Amino acid sequence: MKIEQYRLIEKSRIKEFLNKLISIYNVVAPVEKGFNNFAFEQIRTADEVRLNYIPTILPPKKYFLPKKETILEFELGDELKVEPVTEYENLVLFGVHTCDIAGIKCLNMVLSDRPKDTAYLIRKKHITIIGIECNNYCDDYASCSFVGAHIPTTGYDLMFTELSEHFIVHVHSSKGMEIVEKTEMFKGADQNTIEELKILRNNKLKVFNNEIPTERRYIPDLFDRSFNATVWQELESKCLSCGNCTAVCPTCYCFDIKEDVELSLKRGERYRVWFSCQLDPFAKVAGGIDFRRERSARQRHRFYRKFRYHIDRYGMIFCTGCGRCSRTCMAGINLKEVLTSLIRESEAKIWRKWL
Amino acid sequence: MSKPKVAFFDFACCEGCQLQVANLGEMVLDLIDIVDIVEFREVMSEKWDGEFDVSFIEGSITDEHAVERVKKIREKSKILVALGSCATIGGVNGMKNSFNLEEAGRYVYGEAYKFFPTIHTKAVHQVVRVDYFINGCPIYQPEFLTVLKCILKGLPYYVPEYPVCVECKLNENVCMYDRGLTCMGPVTKAGCNSWCINNGNICYGCRGLTINPNSQGFKDVLKKFGIPEDFLMKKIEMYNKCKELDES
Ligand code: SF4
Ligand code: SF4
Ligand code: SF4
Ligand code: SF4
Ligand code: SF4
Repeated sequence: MKIEQYRLIEKSRIKEFLNKLISIYNVVAPVEKGFNNFAFEQIRTADEVRLNYIPTILPPKKYFLPKKETILEFELGDELKVEPVTEYENLVLFGVHTCDIAGIKCLNMVLSDRPKDTAYLIRKKHITIIGIECNNYCDDYASCSFVGAHIPTTGYDLMFTELSEHFIVHVHSSKGMEIVEKTEMFKGADQNTIEELKILRNNKLKVFNNEIPTERRYIPDLFDRSFNATVWQELESKCLSCGNCTAVCPTCYCFDIKEDVELSLKRGERYRVWFSCQLDPFAKVAGGIDFRRERSARQRHRFYRKFRYHIDRYGMIFCTGCGRCSRTCMAGINLKEVLTSLIRESEAKIWRKWL
Repeated sequence: MSKPKVAFFDFACCEGCQLQVANLGEMVLDLIDIVDIVEFREVMSEKWDGEFDVSFIEGSITDEHAVERVKKIREKSKILVALGSCATIGGVNGMKNSFNLEEAGRYVYGEAYKFFPTIHTKAVHQVVRVDYFINGCPIYQPEFLTVLKCILKGLPYYVPEYPVCVECKLNENVCMYDRGLTCMGPVTKAGCNSWCINNGNICYGCRGLTINPNSQGFKDVLKKFGIPEDFLMKKIEMYNKCKELDES
């Protein structure tokens, strides 16, 4: 911890800071939607912002990879005119949890791989991320400690951590520094507050337990043994294929491409819109053949897509432990429980081999 | 090129879907720029006895007269569109099919029921070939326009095969299950942009079941939320009773 990278702001002045931020930037932050639901929305005053919130309905991904995004506009005439479009906006995201920052890091990995997603990369440049560290679990659905996303590491411009009197702020980029300078509300950190931060982080090791009864490094092996696990069959009867678990996941990036014309039938646009492997038409091809008709196969794909395939390709687990998929599933399919069942079943098999 | 001749016909229904078209507001002006509306009882009294390029059929088929009439319209129409739940899936009129026909007749018309012969309610495609389906009770205006544009461009329109939840999540609504309510969204075809939920209502399933619904799983969910099964079946049947005719 380099003390010169840290700044302090009194906790009582956080609203003042937010209002100042709003006066300079377009600020997006978590707001309350009722029934313990939250959403990232553009805010007009600090009063709308909730600093204590459980993961929002949709992750902040929606600003990086919009739900619906125009990619080109066309004009149909004697000659076809086509114009590629990139939509972006300068935004400051305030109050992003470390799990969601991990999600954005996953997207960065995939979308800067070839073929590069230029629109995404342009948008990313225009977005500033101000994180807020969780000192406690949001709720029981979280498994961020299992994947190591509960402690801030990288992927943000500023990171706020709540101490007794202050927020201690880690300045992690020049964009972050710019905010510190423009708002003029921060002072340098002192040795005491750095000590307090160290104690807090140590304490977090006790507060945050490994939520899944295995270690992260055993995950590839576990999944290599689990392709025919009975859990998938259980999901076959439970899952409604509603696609909620993938819609809310910060590391899902599948999309469909569609076109629409104006009523004049002369001008139109091509756009992409989020899509999901859980949905019936996803793996359907010409002739009506569906490569993944069974719900069990679709659910299995979702789990392998989070915990196995990307380890080979990117060396990363593509689950941030945010718990959104479990929270949103009206059928009660719970990621922690599915992983635990896989572990139990696989252990039983290994024992049988030895006996 | 002359504009395509378009007509609207109503069968057993509340005409709410035609009303949605009539209520397109300024868009109606754009509409009559590209099509020639030759019959539309909701807004005009003219009639046309030639051929139709596009016929919209609203309502379900509930007696022999209707069967004959819709067959004649089919013969005279290049393209035939089922408009609204009554037409696409039988809709609320399908509830009649849960009863003995005579009993239903007596309930509505008393002893005079014999003068009103009736048949099992049918969706339009259960009587004649249908080229395009616009689901919903009532139809969702933007989807109506999308389908119309597809027709005029000679493109197919695919009713989404995924459930309403997909659109609902994109709209970032608080899920009805979190509010302690139940919702037909998970088993109902999308395409309405989760219109009802956006406006604080549950999904009633008016667009019909998805192509491959997990009905048992859905029953289990509702059981978990304390909903009795027969109540659920009534909910599903409110719009979907005619589906049985497809299956038999
Ligand atoms: S999953 Fe972990 S990092 Fe994410 S909000 Fe919950 S406690 Fe915070
Ligand atoms: S949210 Fe639940 S029911 Fe819906 S697709 Fe995902 S696992 Fe299946
Ligand atoms: S799989 Fe579930 S817990 Fe993991 S990142 Fe996606 S939504 Fe969050
Ligand atoms: S589908 Fe609904 S709104 Fe349309 S005509 Fe039938 S009952 Fe009326
Ligand atoms: S409110 Fe209804 S449609 Fe929306 S996600 Fe929940 S169950 Fe699905």
